[in-house]
Amino acid sequence: MFDIRRISHSRWWHKKKIWIFFGIFLFLVFVRISKGSLYKDFFYFISKPFWPGQFQKEVILKSIDQESLIKLNLIKKDNIRLRKILSLQESSNNYNISAAVISRKTGGWWRQIILNKGSKDGVEIGNIVIGPGGLLGRVNNTSLFTSSVTLLTSPESKLGVWVDRSQTNGILVGSGDDYPSLILYSKDADIKVGDFVSSSPASSLLPPNIPIGIVQSIDKTLQSKKTAKISLLAKPNVIDWVQILRKNI
Amino acid sequence: MNKFFTNKLSIISFIFIPIIFLWHPNWLGLLGVQPYWPLFWLLPWSMINGSFNGLVFGLFLGLILDSLTLDNNFSQIPGLMFCGFLFGRIKLNTNIFVGHFRHGLICSFGSFLCGTLHLSQILFKNFSDSNILMFISGIKNILAEVFLTGLFAPFICSQLLRIFKLSRIKLN
Repeated sequence: MFDIRRISHSRWWHKKKIWIFFGIFLFLVFVRISKGSLYKDFFYFISKPFWPGQFQKEVILKSIDQESLIKLNLIKKDNIRLRKILSLQESSNNYNISAAVISRKTGGWWRQIILNKGSKDGVEIGNIVIGPGGLLGRVNNTSLFTSSVTLLTSPESKLGVWVDRSQTNGILVGSGDDYPSLILYSKDADIKVGDFVSSSPASSLLPPNIPIGIVQSIDKTLQSKKTAKISLLAKPNVIDWVQILRKNI
Repeated sequence: MNKFFTNKLSIISFIFIPIIFLWHPNWLGLLGVQPYWPLFWLLPWSMINGSFNGLVFGLFLGLILDSLTLDNNFSQIPGLMFCGFLFGRIKLNTNIFVGHFRHGLICSFGSFLCGTLHLSQILFKNFSDSNILMFISGIKNILAEVFLTGLFAPFICSQLLRIFKLSRIKLN
């Protein structure tokens, strides 16, 4: 007389496996949104025994000598210039955080380093990271125990810089290799191989006068801009210890 | 406990891929480039569990690895999903010796595919900028990655395949 409705057991929501997959997917979305904080912190703990020691003496001493010499010259010039233009920012004198490099990707597709100091130690997104030699990059992401730094060589990095000799402003753009490109938006910009490049006093992202690199080669002038390859003073592939400038400008 | 580890070995090894990806040992690299680690796990997993599983775990791997890198220029998800799907269609070979070389070749091809997808995404994003420089460094990355992935795959993939098979047999 009456059709007996069969209770189906084959509905998709009855399958435990689908719910497990859905759970994993939600967890991974959480990992993605938190930018891998969990993984980075986990890596912090398991890599702890392998953190770099206080070696690399030669590389570091040589770079520090070079840095000090260039910095001294820059500060002298800058002092005179700043006396004239009082409205410009003063040279930064920030509180530094010393951090070890616990993960390093300096070649290939990704150009970043991960440091063993995170938001717990007061590191903030946008903080400047310097190593023996000069500027390395900016903090792009922090977890509780770690912070990730975008290197100057990364295509993501775009910073305002200053050619010291000709006092010209330009933009330093990472091009995915070890030599970032300096772009000067003037066909007649005065630039030579060997010119020293530092952070621009006009930059809103960096404190002024942080040594960055030396002009290695000058490319052909394209339309209304001049580009040059920069050899960086700080070598991210060998540096084990860095300084994070705590205060954002 | 031992039984648990044997059964879940494939999932446990999955968790270690991002750790190796972060570790990035320089001494294993060529021109600063590393082998493409996720493919070593994805190939045996997809070969055993099929295309759909490969596709899903390609997505999972992509999600994790994307979260560990700061790069907004490209995502690893499309490459890994495509490789996962493709690897799932490959039949297991009974000849161990041929199998080793097959793994090397397949992983090289997968790495080439992923590398090309990365490069095309970078070039697309930076269309107006100085593309030539990015193109040259991208080609260098692809070639070094393909070589290294093909070199290490026979050692790692064959071992993982053996382990996954063993844990599957024990599970059944």
